[in-house]
Amino acid sequence: MIYDIRLRLTHFYSGPVGFGRHRVRVVPLDIPTWQRVLSWTLEGDPVPSEQLDERDFFENHSSFLLHNAPHAQMQIRMAARVERLVQQLKQDTSPTIIGLAAEIASLRDLSPASPHHFLGRSERIIMPVDLTRYARTQAASTSSSWAAVQLLGKALHRDMRFDGSATTVDTPLEEAFHHRHGVCQDFAHIMIAGLRSLGIPARYVSGFLRTEPPEGQARLEGADAMHAWVSAWCGARMGWVEYDPTNGIIVGTDHITVGYGRDYFDVSPIKGVLRSSGQSSVAQAVDVIPVVAY
Amino acid sequence: MICDAVCMSDTNAGTFQTQTQIQTNPIRHVLRGYQTESGVADELRDEAGALRPVWSEFVRHLASLQPTAVADRFRRGNQYLRDAGVFYRKYGTDSADERDWPLSPIPVLLRGQDWDVIASGLIQRAELLERIVADLYGPAELIRDGHLPASVVAQNPGWLRPLVGVKPSSGTFLNFLAFEVGRGPSGQWWVLGDRTDAPSGAGFALENRVATSRVFPNFYGQSNTRRLAGFFQGFRDHLQNQRKDKSEPIGLLTPGQMNDGFFEHAYLARYLGFLLVEGEDLTVSDGHLKVRTVEGLKPISVLWRRLDAEFCDPLELNEDSALGTPGMLDAIRCGNLSTINMPGAGILESPSLMAFLPQLCVALTGAPLELPNVATWWCGQPEERAQVLAQRDRIRFASAFTARTAFNEDAPTPEVPTDPKALKAHLEAHGASLVGQETVRLSTTPVWQNGGLVPRAMTLRVFVARTENGWQVMPGGYARIGADRDATVLGMQSGGSVADVWVMNAKDDAPLSAPTLSTAAAPTGPQHIALPSRAADNLLWLGRYIERAEAAMRGFRAYFSLRNTGVREDDPLALMIQRGLLQAYATDPMTLARAFEMPIEMAGVCAAKTRDRFSVDGMLALKDLARTTQELSARSIAPDEIPYEVGTLLRKLSGFSGLVHENMYRSTAWRFLSIGLSIERAVSITTVLSEALKPGAPEGALDLALELGDSVMSHRARYASWPSPASVGNLLALDPHNHRSILYHVMRAQMHIATLPPPPHSGLSSQSMVMALHRQITEDLPSGMSSNAMIKIRAQIWTLADQLAADYLK
Repeated sequence: MIYDIRLRLTHFYSGPVGFGRHRVRVVPLDIPTWQRVLSWTLEGDPVPSEQLDERDFFENHSSFLLHNAPHAQMQIRMAARVERLVQQLKQDTSPTIIGLAAEIASLRDLSPASPHHFLGRSERIIMPVDLTRYARTQAASTSSSWAAVQLLGKALHRDMRFDGSATTVDTPLEEAFHHRHGVCQDFAHIMIAGLRSLGIPARYVSGFLRTEPPEGQARLEGADAMHAWVSAWCGARMGWVEYDPTNGIIVGTDHITVGYGRDYFDVSPIKGVLRSSGQSSVAQAVDVIPVVAY
Repeated sequence: MICDAVCMSDTNAGTFQTQTQIQTNPIRHVLRGYQTESGVADELRDEAGALRPVWSEFVRHLASLQPTAVADRFRRGNQYLRDAGVFYRKYGTDSADERDWPLSPIPVLLRGQDWDVIASGLIQRAELLERIVADLYGPAELIRDGHLPASVVAQNPGWLRPLVGVKPSSGTFLNFLAFEVGRGPSGQWWVLGDRTDAPSGAGFALENRVATSRVFPNFYGQSNTRRLAGFFQGFRDHLQNQRKDKSEPIGLLTPGQMNDGFFEHAYLARYLGFLLVEGEDLTVSDGHLKVRTVEGLKPISVLWRRLDAEFCDPLELNEDSALGTPGMLDAIRCGNLSTINMPGAGILESPSLMAFLPQLCVALTGAPLELPNVATWWCGQPEERAQVLAQRDRIRFASAFTARTAFNEDAPTPEVPTDPKALKAHLEAHGASLVGQETVRLSTTPVWQNGGLVPRAMTLRVFVARTENGWQVMPGGYARIGADRDATVLGMQSGGSVADVWVMNAKDDAPLSAPTLSTAAAPTGPQHIALPSRAADNLLWLGRYIERAEAAMRGFRAYFSLRNTGVREDDPLALMIQRGLLQAYATDPMTLARAFEMPIEMAGVCAAKTRDRFSVDGMLALKDLARTTQELSARSIAPDEIPYEVGTLLRKLSGFSGLVHENMYRSTAWRFLSIGLSIERAVSITTVLSEALKPGAPEGALDLALELGDSVMSHRARYASWPSPASVGNLLALDPHNHRSILYHVMRAQMHIATLPPPPHSGLSSQSMVMALHRQITEDLPSGMSSNAMIKIRAQIWTLADQLAADYLK
């Protein structure tokens, strides 16, 4: 499946901003056997006085934009053509959760996709007792790591309400979990915390969803803005597998990956520091249109 | 000989001393309460209870002093520290009080040859830590080869991923380290902690030394104590040689004046000639770190970081940090900035790493650690967990990852269950985030209490810096001393104290090197360092607040002088002072005094932020002024005493202004301060004249204007008549020789502004604006002197101040 993806992030400022430095992570990733980026552009308006496109530790595209002339509005536009390859649904070859711990302990690896990075606490992930208990209950009926991932994901999809206005980007996960509501970011953080509390390495995936579903299918939640889901490590044989708890589905060709991180902190689409006295607001517009259907 | 005289066992060092004994054996008297504990090493006494030779002369000296002399000397040391502004902050629930620096005036005395063992062990450790950190941010072979579990690194918040794969531009990660060491029961020194991120305390060590040497001036001067200055000189030379461009300054990055180390940062910047900067002074462009100065952006390639790495760059690390500089990590990745130490080096502070250090040392260097660690087990592995559980009674738990503590080290210890079964389960679930450490009984050292010495637990903080000749250890450092014998309570926050450490050479050792820090080393002559914009802004405002306070004090004094003659509060002249000049809507002394109390407080804030640019005397004068002001407002004084009391304040204020003009180097910094004084003085005179020249101004308004303008005498000398609007206007507005006149101060500001560097942008500038103002006063004002003209001039002066800010201070 090939998609044309367009993203517009607009910052409106109440007063002129004399200096702004932003870090942007919105360009999709090349992932062997799964996703190919055919072309991409990233531009700022006004044109930044400096722009530096780099890769971060997790090998995500990361761009630094500097604006040092006064401006009242700033827009970042990303356009990309991406091919998402169809994957065979994997057979469950994952070890038991106890077996998984032994596999992890034997890994002498700090490379970006090493499961070691994705265990324990991180900037936005803590493991509250009630969530730990919830995760254990949901996964009680299985010993397979991959089955546990799916059981927890399904349970969260069933028990949590998608609510675009109930939380903000800074709502702590225990609060969202307590109220059983939130957006894709909250679903992802809660599932990651639950998986890590079981000892399953889990990472945060930032990306896009196709805007209009294939004929006869329902529109997915989270298609109007950038989306987030979960990637879990189910042993060396099976590797990383992805699950979207917001929609209660295994990730397939409707998802396009931008970046991986321990949590939102590592892959937030935009982060900035301004010198200004006023308020600012943000608007996000996303289009993900299939170009060629196989 | 002395050693023999005080040889005694613990039990008979009793307290039943009589007056005659004091006279016959002062040493015995001083040591009467010094009872050591068995199983604990002591610095003063050996295992047999005998005084160690290194202490003998010192104790004899101390014992020879009269009790009153001892008290006087200790006061002298404390006075020095207070005057120098050394303090620490006591963190409460919602405030951070400044407290006196808790110096214990009795130094810790160590033999040179004992010290050399510590020094050699720490240099070995520094080298080892450099190799480890270079590997963890580089090839990670220690992980690959199984010397270190991956999760110890991957789950460590001190491992900063944005810096993985980045090589430090100076070639080394570590340049300045501190170690916490303590002596165990057998006399062996142990390393208790590694400080590798942005270790604090070196400046405090220096100040402790100055204070302690003032307590024992003759003794110190003649003693064979190793001096500290050479250590700092070597470190400074090393940093200077790292700069890309030899004319640029070395920055010292501080979190700012609310931080408990700010005093030290300002002190070290002044001592070493570094530029004290805060995160907001800095910006990054084209991959270079630059400081915003009154001369535009100036590059900095070497930065001594006293801000924890976590807070350095809100775009990549702690995003809530308002103390850092966005883009700083980029400058480091581009190879254009060397920070001391490299951000990320803080991972070496993790107690979990300490657990592996003995094996890592053997694996990497083939030799064991010369100075052992305190025994540490990381609870993320089954065998280690079992060991910890087996000896639970002798184990203290700590976080595996954060040694992160403020300078005071009172890190909360993690809570663990007491029940053995629950503890086992807890360690199995959360072991990776915990270490167990053996509790060590630390040695005791003397402190002064009730006229004699008593033993207290202590640890040493020792500083190690890279110089052109390799690692050097500061021969001294400072000791942290517990509030009692229990070594687990050492933090100052819990009532402990600090002491200087004297490393004593034996008599026949090589002579000591010169104790001075050579400042004439730079062969290129005096260096020019541009003034940071924020410092200039604070200095300008310091001048303005001082002058604003003075004008308000004069108004306050005039008001009560008037009221004391029986004038009612609705008298027109009284109202003119109250509302027109003091802008107050009540007439009680408390309310009116706010008009000068506020600016004095604000002046104190501005001065504190620019502490590195002030003489000690200047700060003292200002503190004295603030203190007197507070005292005045704290007690209720009778209205008829007010004029006298305010007179005292005014004298102190002119004392400060005098210091500024007599004792400050004529630098750009001084110019901004002086411009601030002139701007505000000109403003206050326009205000006075705008009231006094009003049509229908109350009787006595012109006399009042002269009094407020401190020009009563000048008027008498210059005009043989009663004050008239013309004579008062001439003297206070137009007379270029009256140091209180508007023209005088506009001319002074003009002179200063003319010597400032041209502003970075073109267009209307403060230069042209001050010229226009000058023209207007000399050409238009003489024929149009009026209240309204004064209001217009005042508005122009304010515009000039805004333009100055736009030109230089943004």
